[in-house]
Amino acid sequence: MNTLYVTGNSLLHRLSARAKLIALAATGIALIVLASPLLLGISTLAALALYASVGIGWRQSWLRLRPVFVTIFVVAIFALLVNSPEEAAVTLLRLTTLVLLAAAVTATTGIGEFVDEITLAARPLERLGLVRASDIGLAVGLVIRFVPEVLGRYQAIRDAHEARGLKARPLTLAVPLIILTLKNADDIAAAIDARGIRGHKPARRSKER
Amino acid sequence: MTTRDLVLAALFAAIIVVLGLLPPIPVGFIPVPIHAQSLGVMLAGVVLGAKRGTVAVLIFLLLAAIGLPVLSGGRGGLGVFMAPPAGYLVGFVFAAFVTGWISERVIKREQSGLGQIASFFVAAVIGGILVDHLIGVLWLAYGPTNLGLANAFLGTLAFVPGDIVKAVVAALAGRAVMVGYPLLPARA
Repeated sequence: MNTLYVTGNSLLHRLSARAKLIALAATGIALIVLASPLLLGISTLAALALYASVGIGWRQSWLRLRPVFVTIFVVAIFALLVNSPEEAAVTLLRLTTLVLLAAAVTATTGIGEFVDEITLAARPLERLGLVRASDIGLAVGLVIRFVPEVLGRYQAIRDAHEARGLKARPLTLAVPLIILTLKNADDIAAAIDARGIRGHKPARRSKER
Repeated sequence: MTTRDLVLAALFAAIIVVLGLLPPIPVGFIPVPIHAQSLGVMLAGVVLGAKRGTVAVLIFLLLAAIGLPVLSGGRGGLGVFMAPPAGYLVGFVFAAFVTGWISERVIKREQSGLGQIASFFVAAVIGGILVDHLIGVLWLAYGPTNLGLANAFLGTLAFVPGDIVKAVVAALAGRAVMVGYPLLPARA
């Protein structure tokens, strides 16, 4: 799976993931409080400059931002019709700024950095016994590993439909996909435990239910 | 959580990702094409139950947040959590939980097939539609979009027919999976 990370050496690339996430959250709150179209316009330009400094390129940016901007424009037009033009402008500028800043953080922070940061943030929860922090990275890795396999299985089920002259329906595709995929869970879990990846605590079976 | 539970949740997150890769299906009488991704969220609750279903959706959203383009249409990154429909995304977590919570308590092995399908449908409608749309509407109304409650409610209605179709599929699939490979933790 391709990630949205872009290699580079901009200022944002060099900042730590934590600094970027805290700054993003703080800016998000500030932007929600801010209601002047002029100030929001200035912040949009600043966000645009920051986004441009990352070096994503026009084509990639268009591909990445288009789906989100479509929803923003739909909402802005809706706000224009039912509210005032000023409110529509505020909505448009505020959302554009937020999305640009968030996209810049995403493009400059690698998956590994994010996982490390989240694992660290989950430590207090671990002490409460809610999660095992190291499970987060494991789960992310498992999904990245299994998406291509599930996709391959989906295509095989589609082909099987075609070979039998059946129309592919959501139901007849989803059910075998789910059953075939989840049936692997026991083997995968056994493989993980055999390697001692989650530590050597004795396996607690069926009790937890 | 046992390793098996964690693996089941991760595998289901992979299924939700794959459902998002499929092109949206146009359904004759409904204005907006149907994305299979929110179907995956209902399915997570219906198939895995509250706890593992919620974890599956959390893993899925985490992947999106850290910059993997796993949302339908190849979207991902932190930007989608700022965009107008972000409430529906965060609502997925609660949708899976409520769908699973109801499924665990309402569906009984000795029920008739039709009764089980009806129960799964109710669970998917309450969790996957009511809860998800409630959070989606609240975000549209009071989040950065600031659309106002009445307008946000009006906007959400366009998606309800498609979601009802998904709830029907989720109910039928939930029952079929339970027959073929039962995983739902049954509760009295």
